[in-house]
Amino acid sequence: MTQPTPFDEMHNADGSIREPYRELDRWLREQPPQALNLMATDAEGIFRRLGITFAVYGSNEGTEKLIPFDVIPRIISAAEWRRLARGIEQRVRALNAFLHDIYHRQEILKAGRVPEKLILQNAAFCPEMMGIDPARAVYAHIIGVDIVRTGPDDFYVLEDNLRTPSGVSYMLEDREAMLQLAPDLFQRHKVAPVETYTENLMRTLESVAPEGAGASPTIVVLTPGIYNSAYFEHSFLADQMGAQLCEGQDLFVEDGFVYMRTTSGPERVDVIYRRIDDDYIDPLTFKPDSMLGVPGLFDAYRAGTVTLVNAPGTGIADDKAVYTYVPEIIEFYLGEKPLLSNVPTYNCTNDDERAYVLANIGDLVVKEVHGSGGYGMLVGPTSTRAQREEFRNRIIARPDNYIVQPTLALSTCPTYVNRGIAPRHVDLRPYVLVGDQIRITPGGLTRVALKKGSLVVNSSQGGGTKDTWVLEE
Amino acid sequence: MKIAIRHELAVPVPQGATRVQMHLLAHPVAFAGQHIRHWAVEGPDIATAAAFPDAYGNDARLVTLRRPESPVSLLLEGLVETSDKHGVVGRIGREPVPALFRRITPLTRSPVTVYGKFRSTPRDGRDRIGLLHQVMERINEFHVFAPDGVVPSIEGTTESVRPAPTQTQTQTLGTMTQSQSLGEPADRRTPATARDFAHAFIGACRALDIPARYVSGYLLGGDAPGHAWAEAWDDGLGWIGFDAALLLCPTERHVRLAIGLDAMSAALVRTSPTIGEVETTSLSVAEA
Repeated sequence: MTQPTPFDEMHNADGSIREPYRELDRWLREQPPQALNLMATDAEGIFRRLGITFAVYGSNEGTEKLIPFDVIPRIISAAEWRRLARGIEQRVRALNAFLHDIYHRQEILKAGRVPEKLILQNAAFCPEMMGIDPARAVYAHIIGVDIVRTGPDDFYVLEDNLRTPSGVSYMLEDREAMLQLAPDLFQRHKVAPVETYTENLMRTLESVAPEGAGASPTIVVLTPGIYNSAYFEHSFLADQMGAQLCEGQDLFVEDGFVYMRTTSGPERVDVIYRRIDDDYIDPLTFKPDSMLGVPGLFDAYRAGTVTLVNAPGTGIADDKAVYTYVPEIIEFYLGEKPLLSNVPTYNCTNDDERAYVLANIGDLVVKEVHGSGGYGMLVGPTSTRAQREEFRNRIIARPDNYIVQPTLALSTCPTYVNRGIAPRHVDLRPYVLVGDQIRITPGGLTRVALKKGSLVVNSSQGGGTKDTWVLEE
Repeated sequence: MKIAIRHELAVPVPQGATRVQMHLLAHPVAFAGQHIRHWAVEGPDIATAAAFPDAYGNDARLVTLRRPESPVSLLLEGLVETSDKHGVVGRIGREPVPALFRRITPLTRSPVTVYGKFRSTPRDGRDRIGLLHQVMERINEFHVFAPDGVVPSIEGTTESVRPAPTQTQTQTLGTMTQSQSLGEPADRRTPATARDFAHAFIGACRALDIPARYVSGYLLGGDAPGHAWAEAWDDGLGWIGFDAALLLCPTERHVRLAIGLDAMSAALVRTSPTIGEVETTSLSVAEA
């Protein structure tokens, strides 16, 4: 199968420049030959100073790596963003309504719109959450929706990421770096700010504090610790919000209230932005051998004395098998047609679809239902024969463990590479905050596959990032 | 019938721990067949415990034990008035949707040899109760009730048959099935506790798409430290109790304490950190 020509976000088919990129194009033409190279070198220095690193699982060469940054920003027009933002808002409203329903009356299952077995027998479904009424009925407060583009008006949601999405610190640092590297470029554009994110995060967290928490609730960020790949981000966000960064051992529960140990004695905690997975947050209720969590935390949550952000059990709504039902979910709760499309997905438990998948695996993308971070997936067109064979066998052995999608021709953006500027594939992860209102930071994190032709943008698989600009009118 | 209960437990905790969290499902909920005349739970730090409904509608407590001495002593004492409703519990407020109890947990996996023969048995409307009784009988083809894992042997002496703790219900049933298919006589049934019977019944119900849940409680005249049975859902009557170990629906001699997906989620005491098993040091269930 020949892949269609990917959509180039900067150039029209006839080589002319698309509207949002006109000024950038002019600016690029004005730059002396070595300018971008210098910027790239400066960028590396800036990131080293900022200390942005990430850990790669399964890599022996030191635990910390610098995430590559591309100096050419990605630009989205105001009109394009309006459409995207409306679609994202619709999706997160529907998914929060779905979570409330699934953990209460389960009307959507009774109506047969989503198969009951898919939810009730799912490992990501958390029965302990039944009947809890979280503040403002919000379960997923912090969301990073993965979106890909295949044409001028064609956006697809790849994943909803309702658990503990990471990467927002890269979005903020990319902007900070870009402001230092090319201040003149900002003077020539009206770029919507992203710096408001941490302030909005704080407002969101305050707005979901439990009743009786008072006007300025105590908020902490709970991290699994320095060996977590996103530890940098946990400390960064805590620092930006002026909140305490805690590990499990820094918190304790007494008589159903959560306290933080401080030098001046225990302090009541009202809201916990936790970056520890559900299974590990409380050894009394979940994994008994977890050393990362806080014993009794979940009971305190049930007793309503503390808010957990995001709520446990949100994973049921971004489960890859549930993903295919999101259009149904939107229609069921909102009575609206979805504004953003899902990527067409093959269900391997269906005989016809599995047969198609096995015959055409070289053109498809195979993902593990519970995988993330680009691990445990197959990208057909760039795979080896042995890899294809292995995934064929895996699908035959456990068809319910995989979802399969066509290889999308991800859009490309101009990217600075060794030999100059060349198109590279990108995706987009806008960050959404849900509390007293829904706040979407304009833009998000653009991940770019730096290898020519590669479609895998994950930082753990050799991807980089770009500053993402939404133009204001 | 008025039943007086006095239950003493010893909860092992790590020596020298500053704080131990204890999750208690020790407060029974009332329903038409069960009125709580008096109920008290005594133990260290219980007075300041947090009280809240758990996911299954139980009246849960989170007790923070400060520098506890091991073992921690707990005393449950109460007077409950029961009436025989032929096992019908009905619908109790603030409980989750019945469908939740179709979720299969590691403790409630049922081998197809148990439920397979009922796959095409009618199970809606009036047929459901009949089917549930058949399931209960079916479990008894595989197991013999051994309160506390102890059965009287044929010779009349008592023999301990406590299975290895790692042996799961499914394995027990699986082994049994093999010997059954070889035409072994029925007295080769494996001994099982009330808890095992409840799990086997629940597993079979869930495999047949009937919501079923675990009940922990007490039995007047029972030998074991505590009793357990199951409840299955009927759209007309609501929840109905099935005591597969005794092959009957719960009577006025049954006192219902807590419910859950299985014995783990309905456990009377759970602690963190955990060291060793909670023990019943004394139990008296008597007609008052």
